Amino acid sequence: MATETEPQTDRETESLTLVQAVQDGLRTEMERDEDVLVMGEDVGKNGGVFRATEGLYDQFGEERVIDTPLAESGIVGTAIGMAAYGLRPVAEMQFMGFIYPAFDQIVSHAARLRTRSRGRFTCPLVVRAPYGGGIRAPEHHSESTEAMFVHQPGLKVVVPSTPADTKGLLTSAIRDPDPVLFLEPKLIYRAFREDVPVDSYEVPLGEAAVRREGSDVSVFTWGAMTRPTLEAADNLADEVDVEVVDLRTLSPLDDDTILDSFKKTGRAAVVHEAPKTGGLAGEITATIQEEALLYQEAPIERITGFDTPFPLYALEDYYLPEAARIEDGIRRAAGF
Amino acid sequence: MSQQLDAETETTTQTIRESLNQALHEELERDERVLLYGEDVAEYGGLYKISEGLYEEFGEERVFDTPLAETSLGGTAVGAALAGARPVVEIMYADFLPIAGDHLINYAAKMYFNYGDETSVPMVVRSMYGTGDGHGLHHGQSPEAWFMNVPGLKVVMPSTPREYKGLLKGAIRDDDPVIFLENKMRYGESGPVPDEEYTISLCESDVKREGTDATIVAIGGMVYEALEAAERLSEQGIECEIVDPRTISPLDTGPILESVEKTNILVTAQEAPTFGGFGSEVAAQVIDDAFFYLDAPVKRVGAPFTPIPFAENLEEAYQPTADDIESAVIDAIET
Repeated sequence: MATETEPQTDRETESLTLVQAVQDGLRTEMERDEDVLVMGEDVGKNGGVFRATEGLYDQFGEERVIDTPLAESGIVGTAIGMAAYGLRPVAEMQFMGFIYPAFDQIVSHAARLRTRSRGRFTCPLVVRAPYGGGIRAPEHHSESTEAMFVHQPGLKVVVPSTPADTKGLLTSAIRDPDPVLFLEPKLIYRAFREDVPVDSYEVPLGEAAVRREGSDVSVFTWGAMTRPTLEAADNLADEVDVEVVDLRTLSPLDDDTILDSFKKTGRAAVVHEAPKTGGLAGEITATIQEEALLYQEAPIERITGFDTPFPLYALEDYYLPEAARIEDGIRRAAGF
Repeated sequence: MSQQLDAETETTTQTIRESLNQALHEELERDERVLLYGEDVAEYGGLYKISEGLYEEFGEERVFDTPLAETSLGGTAVGAALAGARPVVEIMYADFLPIAGDHLINYAAKMYFNYGDETSVPMVVRSMYGTGDGHGLHHGQSPEAWFMNVPGLKVVMPSTPREYKGLLKGAIRDDDPVIFLENKMRYGESGPVPDEEYTISLCESDVKREGTDATIVAIGGMVYEALEAAERLSEQGIECEIVDPRTISPLDTGPILESVEKTNILVTAQEAPTFGGFGSEVAAQVIDDAFFYLDAPVKRVGAPFTPIPFAENLEEAYQPTADDIESAVIDAIET
């Protein structure tokens, strides 16, 4: 559970934003292991459009921090070759909305290399992509399409929600022998700071974190939606005792933590940015009812984006779940 | 629109292969805006002979071969559709749809919403899925869940020859982009196909078998497995109702909910891995809207969470069948 994320008091820490924690995670792994390299559009000399790779080019040079053309398929395809060869590439997709040119490389090649070669090759590759809405971006820059990647066997999907988790989960992802899609909630890249250990550490993949304990309703969420969910839980404190579980890894899902929480509360809501239909909330709902129907006291609320493409900025505040909408959903689950 | 086959309709027994060929033939003949192109669809007649004879009849301007370049198939289809054509492109194997993913997800699906006017992208992407022929991990997976969370794309997965024909014609006439998924293991299945002209509307679920004891929601090739399971269960005194959504997205949930309200038991059946798949969405919607009608947890039949294995014995073990549906129904009823 959450213990790994709590910085130990005797450790030296630094106050970092989430995007600084990405940079710190990359840097500490590159210092530790010379096989780790970073590649992508403007990640080198420019330092990344969100500054996630700032300073890495100067520290590690052009052999390990590689600027690429705007060619997502080529970036991931090349990285797969490097990974099969024994390197540990971290490829950046500038926005998740542009990951689709690399969709085939990720699901057909990276995710299947181990199976396809009967274990002779693995693909220790990390694909980083800022995802999600709320930053007043133009079209194609705000979506959350995790559902199409979690359905792919052989691929892990990770989403941090705090700076300390970001560094630890990214470290684990880089050290993992299999491909990891590492989705970064760009809405909260600079939203707050947290003490992050200066040294290298892992937060294990596949483990959810209980962010707030409660006994009435379990709310499952991840990434940028964790903060408005916690805010909603606090606002409801007088009427509903809400437990908030930050899933952190979306595939494989931490069923044990999900079910433990649900068996305690018997009521649940799932909050995500992506459209409802075909989204990951459906899988979580199906898993809960399959494993714990006898504990279930109410339908499971799915508090999500709407079944349309992500809108332009004038409408995005209506599209994204925010605290008030999450509160309404939790109330429905509690009052059913 | 003939949704159900009534007793007076004159029919001919056809295979799915024949009914699809006839659908393409009729639409190419009816509307000169319709184009058919893809890898080996023209001179060779399609890898599975779905487009046999169409090149000879309609010529290379309307039916043509392309390089092995799925990105370009998706991209040119979006362009052709915006320019007024009704392209039908074949992507040989649904496993390769992601190569065209950007054009399908960022362009085909979003144009209507982006422009806010009458702009639409009337294109059909035909693609094959289906396990069981030893083609390994890149030539048979079921891709529907990839596109279920993409608003703006319609995903169609028919089961019978009559529906393959009617829905393909419906998809070609639809103003939105449609991913039309064909089960390559079932092209030889035969059934009655009306002699007269007909289309079937998208987005309407169909009840394939009536029953009172359990509801099976099965898609594509799994409809056949569900029918077989239902026959066996009937011999044991369990009458299953089978709902075939036919269009996966947007999903017509009405008949599913009505059926569950009657039977109180739900089993979903798909070829794709269960995790993150179609059955999970159906389960979630039923939990949302018919929670009090469920007597048991929704059982989801699907493949294990691995790529499709190549070895024959492993592929056989991997593939969901009538046996799995049968035991899921019994498990649910005994819960």
